[in-house]
Amino acid sequence: MAQKSAETTKPPSKLRAFLAKSREYAPVWTLLVLFLFFSVYSDSFLTLENMGNILNQVSLLAIMGTGITFVLLTAQIDLSVSYMATFTGVVAAYYTAAHMAQPWPILVALLAAAFLGVINGVGTAWLGIPSFMVTLAMSLIASGLSLWLTHGRIIFDLPPLANILGSGRIFGIKWLVIVAALTLLVGHLILRYTRFGRYVYMTGANPKAAELAGVNTKGIVTAVMVIAAVTAGLAGVVGIGRLGSATPTAFDGMLIDAIGAVVLGGTSLFGGIGGIPQTVIGLLILGVLRNGLDQISVDIYMKTLITGIILLVALVFNIVFAGKKEG
Amino acid sequence: MDTTTPLLNLINVSKRFGGIHALKGIDFEVRPGEVHALVGENGAGKSTMMKILAGVITDYEGEMRWRGQPVRLKGPRHALDLGIAMIHQELSVMPELTVAENIFLGRQPLKGGVVDWPRMFREAEASLAELGFEHVNVRDTLDHYPLGVHQLVEIARAITSGAQLIIMDEPTSALSPMETHRLLELTRNLVEGGDKSVVYISHFLEEVTWVADRITVLRDGEKITTLKAKNADKQELVRLMLGKETEFFEESYIGAREVEDTHELREPVLTVRGLSKPRAFEDVSFELHAGEILGLYGLIGSGHFELGEALYGLLKPTSGEMVLSGKPLRGNPRRAIDRGVAYVPPSRRSGLFLEKPIYQNISLPWLAHISGFVPSVAKEVKVADEVIHRVGVRPPDPLKEVVFLSGGNQQKVAIARWLVELPKVFVVSEPTRGMDVGAKEEVMHILKEMSAAGVGVLLISSEPETILAAAERILVMAKGRIVEEFVDQQVTKEMLLAAAAGEMVEQPA
Ligand SMILES: Nc1ncnc2c1ncn2[C@@H]1O[C@H](COP(=O)(O)OP(=O)(O)OP(=O)(O)O)[C@@H](O)[C@H]1O
Ligand SMILES: [Mg+2]
Repeated sequence: MAQKSAETTKPPSKLRAFLAKSREYAPVWTLLVLFLFFSVYSDSFLTLENMGNILNQVSLLAIMGTGITFVLLTAQIDLSVSYMATFTGVVAAYYTAAHMAQPWPILVALLAAAFLGVINGVGTAWLGIPSFMVTLAMSLIASGLSLWLTHGRIIFDLPPLANILGSGRIFGIKWLVIVAALTLLVGHLILRYTRFGRYVYMTGANPKAAELAGVNTKGIVTAVMVIAAVTAGLAGVVGIGRLGSATPTAFDGMLIDAIGAVVLGGTSLFGGIGGIPQTVIGLLILGVLRNGLDQISVDIYMKTLITGIILLVALVFNIVFAGKKEG
Repeated sequence: MDTTTPLLNLINVSKRFGGIHALKGIDFEVRPGEVHALVGENGAGKSTMMKILAGVITDYEGEMRWRGQPVRLKGPRHALDLGIAMIHQELSVMPELTVAENIFLGRQPLKGGVVDWPRMFREAEASLAELGFEHVNVRDTLDHYPLGVHQLVEIARAITSGAQLIIMDEPTSALSPMETHRLLELTRNLVEGGDKSVVYISHFLEEVTWVADRITVLRDGEKITTLKAKNADKQELVRLMLGKETEFFEESYIGAREVEDTHELREPVLTVRGLSKPRAFEDVSFELHAGEILGLYGLIGSGHFELGEALYGLLKPTSGEMVLSGKPLRGNPRRAIDRGVAYVPPSRRSGLFLEKPIYQNISLPWLAHISGFVPSVAKEVKVADEVIHRVGVRPPDPLKEVVFLSGGNQQKVAIARWLVELPKVFVVSEPTRGMDVGAKEEVMHILKEMSAAGVGVLLISSEPETILAAAERILVMAKGRIVEEFVDQQVTKEMLLAAAAGEMVEQPA
């Protein structure tokens, strides 16, 4: 990037500036390195079809990750998102099986998710319970509700809309990818360009100062918990369409990947720093890594280990970056 | 005291932050057994220099010598191991931990691998007693206590670390006059032995000339001179600090002023009646008039800061009422702001977003007014640019992050925010904490301008100088109650102190 006029204050010494920047852009470098690595070591990686696969594979994570980004920006966490996704999918299928008129099952399911999100928010913001505890309890509740509604059975009656969004295509592009892209885009516009978005960042940066400046920080925290619940619910509804059925544990395992992707991208766990562009990078890192490891026929029993190590390294970066004081 | 090797030397030390040349070729020396004071305007480079001594800043040009030997500190830990401890201007205590834990942070006494709590409590008690602050229970978490105690704990931590060089960066900015006095005496005692030394930074020249053996003056990152404290004249020091002749804050040096209420129209903008909040204040009643500066003086812990919080909706009073222009004042900060109440908290850290640019710090309460649902950065920057020029933030760059400003300039940002839309009532707690005389005068000027424009200013402070410099009427609080009102008379620092302390003496030990 060319340095324009001297209007802004001069940059620090070139090397320091480079180092600072490279730390900030570490996720981008990680992505590039992984991408190049797999392109070189596998012939099946760098094909148009496989790129489509990667996008397809991360789409559900992207929908969920959008909400998680909001939550992390306020320095909270939500450990219940994947269970909420399962729950929402189950509710939508349950009422479809019970012959409720469409599209009501989907709306009811999303409303139920939003309601659980309100509980998360109230518990965190008003009752002052740490968010990881409230949402941990919520993950059990959501999971319990899924089991109770299905009695452990698989439901195959799905809302038609879920089927279309989950496995349909338009102009050769999967609806799933489009829904994910739109969710990310809307999330980005809200965070970047609205007053609410600014409040989210400022609440995470310093909750006390935000309160002193007249920001309703409790309301903001509740709102982001609801957003996370609704995006998780959306992922669940689209997800059952992709799987072709609703099972009582369908998406439970996505939790680590969803939070991991957001953190990998560089959104700070301490709030106030990061955003959707970072989440997109994080999603792509995870997607490329998962997919690439499949392509180079690494011992399948090592895949999780390798992913875990990379996640850990990224977390270390995240903490180090957040902990930097003196520029 | 004439040991030949200095304890510490800086030789031709320079430090740049990007384009800012914070230190320019500094030579500095601390002798064993001396209190060496460092004075200079906000942004002169005092904290930067001390951060180099304490290993917080490690990339600088030039040389540092410890007992004559060149050293290159690797970090704060390294400095502590050598025997250099620092009390930071921005406190680094942990409010959630107990007082004792804070004092022994990172070096808790151990027994068989686990923390030896009884011993830690005992030693913490002993060290606070040595400091003369027995009223603090070391078993309580620190957040039970006001800012002054946080400051004391930070001081106790440095002193008990056994360091030979203790750096105090504005240690008294949150202390009451009595606590300040004790700290000054303690500082003298500390160096009596002849092996320990103290570097003392303060904007209070009275303290500096009393406590120091030698004084070094910094201006714009350059060392102007080092002189013997005995020969130092305050006017002369100020001239050296500012590099020009100024008529400044004379009142604060004389320590007395004619308090005069010149307002013919006594129109109360804010009426407080019988306001109570257990453990904070009790049965407080007063009126604040439009266009006046009402001083609210009290020692730390007298409840005056809490009263300020209550007016802004941060603290819910249990009884009594507050009436703003005829209507009851209730609720949260947002509602207070919308009703025309503005507030600056006593600790600037809790009011600012250090990692965010100045303009975002300033525009936050006004986002809805500056632009609609979609904030316009261009408009925000414009608004911020205007107000930071008015209060004289240096450097006046709205895009710069607040963390890059010196302490005093950060404080100006906290005040500048409320110039965007003039409030009806401006509650300011310790607006001049950590400011040099020039900046203090600027802030007082701003408060006076605001009051001239009809704003009722409630100036809350534990610094008699601040109150005397601007207030037209003075209320004194002690133990949660208003105990005295000064109006239309000659008021001195001693009178304020006596009023504020009077109640304390009667209290059973
Ligand atoms: N981390 C930093 N990055 C960029 N600039 C900085 C940083 N720290 C300090 N500065 C700049 O260096 C200069 C000296 O700051 P310093 O904090 O040493 O001042 P000070 O003399 O302690 O002032 P005060 O009395 O207000 O505390 C200021 O212009 C400040 O803006
Ligand atoms: Mg300083």
